[in-house]
Amino acid sequence: MSAVRDPLQVKFAELLAWEQRKRYEQVLTCVACAAMALALLVLPFHGLLPFSEQLRWFIPAALMLVIAPWFFYRWRWQNKDATRALVRVDKTLRLDERATTAWELSARAESSATAQLVFKQAAESLLAVEPRSLSPRQWNWPSYTVIPLFVLWFALLWFDADRPFLDRSRPNAPRTLAHKLLEFSRELQESAKSEGLRESLKAGQELENLARKNIDAKTDDEPFKKELAGVAKKLEAGGKPGADANPFSAGESQQSLRDLRAELEAARDLLDLPGGDKGARELPQQWLDRLASMPQIKKQFDKESGQGFGQNDLKSFLDRLERQATSELDRRALIDAQQFLEQMMKSGQGKSESSTQTVGRGEKESLDDDGVREKRFSNLPGKEPGKKDDGVNSLPEFRGGAQTQVKGLLGEGDSSGVIYKGKPTPGKSELSEQEVIANYRRQAEQELNSERVPEALKETIRNYFLSLGGGNR
Amino acid sequence: MESVAEIEQRIKRARRTFDDLRAEIGRVIVGHHELIEQVFIALVCGGHCLLEGVPGLGKTLMVRSLGETLRLSFSRIQFTPDLMPADITGTNMLTDDPSGRKVFEFQHGPVFAHIVLADEINRATPKTQSALLEAMQEQSVTVGGKIHRLENPFMVLATQNPIEMEGTYPLPEAQVDRFFFKLLLQFPSRDELARIADLTTAAPLSALREVLDAQGILQMRQWVREVPLADAVKDYAVRLVLRTHPRQETKNGGESLAQRFVLYGSSPRGLQSLILAGKARALLAGRPNVSFDDIRSMLLPSLRHRLILNLEADAEGINAEKVLGQIVTEVAEVA
Repeated sequence: MSAVRDPLQVKFAELLAWEQRKRYEQVLTCVACAAMALALLVLPFHGLLPFSEQLRWFIPAALMLVIAPWFFYRWRWQNKDATRALVRVDKTLRLDERATTAWELSARAESSATAQLVFKQAAESLLAVEPRSLSPRQWNWPSYTVIPLFVLWFALLWFDADRPFLDRSRPNAPRTLAHKLLEFSRELQESAKSEGLRESLKAGQELENLARKNIDAKTDDEPFKKELAGVAKKLEAGGKPGADANPFSAGESQQSLRDLRAELEAARDLLDLPGGDKGARELPQQWLDRLASMPQIKKQFDKESGQGFGQNDLKSFLDRLERQATSELDRRALIDAQQFLEQMMKSGQGKSESSTQTVGRGEKESLDDDGVREKRFSNLPGKEPGKKDDGVNSLPEFRGGAQTQVKGLLGEGDSSGVIYKGKPTPGKSELSEQEVIANYRRQAEQELNSERVPEALKETIRNYFLSLGGGNR
Repeated sequence: MESVAEIEQRIKRARRTFDDLRAEIGRVIVGHHELIEQVFIALVCGGHCLLEGVPGLGKTLMVRSLGETLRLSFSRIQFTPDLMPADITGTNMLTDDPSGRKVFEFQHGPVFAHIVLADEINRATPKTQSALLEAMQEQSVTVGGKIHRLENPFMVLATQNPIEMEGTYPLPEAQVDRFFFKLLLQFPSRDELARIADLTTAAPLSALREVLDAQGILQMRQWVREVPLADAVKDYAVRLVLRTHPRQETKNGGESLAQRFVLYGSSPRGLQSLILAGKARALLAGRPNVSFDDIRSMLLPSLRHRLILNLEADAEGINAEKVLGQIVTEVAEVA
């Protein structure tokens, strides 16, 4: 009667092999799910891992290799699993445990007539059965979870969500020049967009592309510096005064240029004022009164000795002024960018230059070397020339060590001097005088733009800084 | 060696016999289908039954009918407080032999029959009750130092009334354990009652047809033991029996009814009953192997009288059925 038992044994082997395969697939899914969950959990600790950042992409695979043996041992295929599988077959086919009994009897090589009858009855139902259709795969929750977990983990890594953790856990880890440039380029673009500076916007985009390219290529800083040098030259060329005569002197502050542009906007209304004769040679008195309330335009108007301006002359004058002011702002932004690039090339990474190299905004946002953006407000209202320092000046807190920033208060008359705060860095300063002055000028303008400086004092303060004559020093 | 066809034939015959028996007894007994099946299972397993039910449910009639359909000798012993052991087993009587000499001659008691109905067994004194012990276990009685073999097949069907407990002597645990099954008779339903009224108040029925003889029963006993049992099913039965013991830990770590209310769990005889009854049920169902369902079906009749519950169970109205019901739900088929 082995004619019945042998095919039945083959069928049992087939059934159990399928069940075993399903089991290993499930274990593998569980391993993958657990590995992905662990990979997400260790994301904040990437900085503590003792290998390069590139290898973080292989963390799930490594975790899988580590935990897989335990999972496969814990859920290894055992004899009771085979029994369970056959009991399930019995239930599905309503065999009243004939399959289970036949399997055990065949394993014991039973040859009694009763055993043969069990084989026969089990074979009648089992031989025609296809294991895959009888007991199809059933996806458990880890199967449904593993792909979303993978996508989440991949997205987090792709968008460098672990970067802050990496940087925080590695305080001395150098940030590449490309990252700094990327940050600067974004700020430059924002600033250019808000002020309508076309050349600066273009330069910002160009810098961003360059930074991105280098970040993606993971190139070193040295070859990157060479590329920066090329871009800096380009910016330098763009920052040179144009052939057309620009009425704004180098001492004209950026804020005054911005004020001028704001006044120019307002002055457009003048053209629509009633009583004006387009062909008239003289401006009506009410126009002149309005002009008097716009100090920046008035200044330029006086320079042009605008007596005898007609309405058309005034329009072309205003248009020209706006073009020139925008062009001047654009040029200065390019110079700032060029200076930033030069500083970057000189200082390289690990230096604390970025805090002074942000594009001027209402409030100063700075990046420290840790890459953490923090807002700093100067609580120094400024000092009017000739007035004594009453000793209540409180400068922004300086950090010691390599990040020490030297700030000073320059004044006229008796109280001039430099105040050092924080722990000085031993050794020779690497910043040139020009750079220091440029930095201070920028800081002063930023402080002036802040709401903390009273409107009435802005002009006085501006005049004070202009009187320092940074260019001459 | 038998062939597969012969085994198939044998199973069919067993099933047909049982169907015939059920139909024949069903002529006089209304309802109690499950009870009739269980009594027959006990018979083909070589066991004895303890029937418990209020008077008038047809216990005696059923046993009598069984004797008639099986072509077996039947005797009834009405247990009373003054019944003596010798009244059951028989005694040596002084008689004259053909030569005129006085000799002791053994007079067989009512226990010498194939089927013995021990009616209201708990009314006799423990001394008398224990006279059945040897008969039930060894299938023999010893009188005057001489062993007398009982009939084969031999089956004791004892009845007891669960409500009228005054003047009764509860059976000792050792004797209760010797009963293969303890069966409870339920009160008939409305339809069954109506049929009982029709049957018992009309013209008497014709005599019952004999469907099986002693030889046939012995043969079936042999067949039952040849039914194969998978290790997985056997393990299930073992785990069920083990779980009746209060010291067995539950899977979820909580306190089970068995742990709380059982004083002593089932004896190994309970496991024997369970498995043997499972085999018999499979045979009577026309199957060549035992299923988990066979074991589950036989759990209550096999084990309910083997669980000794504590006083707390009595106070809280917990009975063996409840405990076993929880065990069945908790124990997985495959460990």
